[in-house]
Amino acid sequence: MNKFKSIFYHLCRLLLGGVFLYAGVVKVMDPVGFAGEIANYQILPYRLNFLVAATLPFVEMLAGSLLMLNYKVRPASLVIGGLNLVFIVALSSLLIRGLDIDCGCFRPGAHSSATTALWRDVGFMVLAVVTFVGNKRRGT
Amino acid sequence: MNKPFLRKQLITLLRDAALIVALAMLVGMAVNIRLLWNIWSGQIPGSAVLNEPGSENEPLPMPISLAELSDLSADEVLLLDARHVDLYLQGHLPAARSLPWGEIESRLDDFRREVPLHNTLVVYCSGYGCEDSFLLAQRLMAAGYEDVRVFEGGMPEWRDAGLPVEKGQP
Repeated sequence: MNKFKSIFYHLCRLLLGGVFLYAGVVKVMDPVGFAGEIANYQILPYRLNFLVAATLPFVEMLAGSLLMLNYKVRPASLVIGGLNLVFIVALSSLLIRGLDIDCGCFRPGAHSSATTALWRDVGFMVLAVVTFVGNKRRGT
Repeated sequence: MNKPFLRKQLITLLRDAALIVALAMLVGMAVNIRLLWNIWSGQIPGSAVLNEPGSENEPLPMPISLAELSDLSADEVLLLDARHVDLYLQGHLPAARSLPWGEIESRLDDFRREVPLHNTLVVYCSGYGCEDSFLLAQRLMAAGYEDVRVFEGGMPEWRDAGLPVEKGQP
């Protein structure tokens, strides 16, 4: 049973790390396009869209890399959990306001509806919690 | 486990998480310093890209910032919306005319008959990665218009600044 738990924990860690590393890499190439996708949410003022577009992919890449390297797993999963929470709030606000836009989650222009993205982020949140708690139990 | 130990663990966890975010943000800002500098100093996004070498022989439209544009009156400039007409109808800058980039070739002759070549034109689209305003401005310059500017922040910057937006036909 312990072996099963260990495999499950490592799978969650690698999957979550891989997804966030990928999400960061595909966005880092086109910060202006990503700023436009953030602007579609109509939450932030004009200039802040660019600041978020310039920095968020790097946070995703660093936290994702740390998870994959099995180093600083708890703080990295906490950061990813925090990001997911922000994404969930932003996507919920889209649904409440009835805005139909691309979520801007991965590659610019790859259309995902807000509902799909919301459920996906809930799944990532579960992975983040499993990774966080699993790492604590392992004491690494 | 005693409380001081848990508290120390929590502080370490939060400190490490904050360090991850801060380090990544610093790297992101350093990598995109030029873009961020352009945005914060009120220059157009992507202006460096628009002025790439190799296009020296072609006249390039000059950028215009939101501050400059909002100081001008409707008598001084003609605003042109380069987006699809559906987006124009949903909301556009006050007194702007719709001239979608995709329709320029079919409408250019009529436009030239209506609008004298010495008029100042300001073209905009959806801002950010949208190129239609720049392409339309270049086409208008090639057609003989002397003073064509591009408002690259476009509709998003205008709307987010809380400036008035018109709907439907002007």
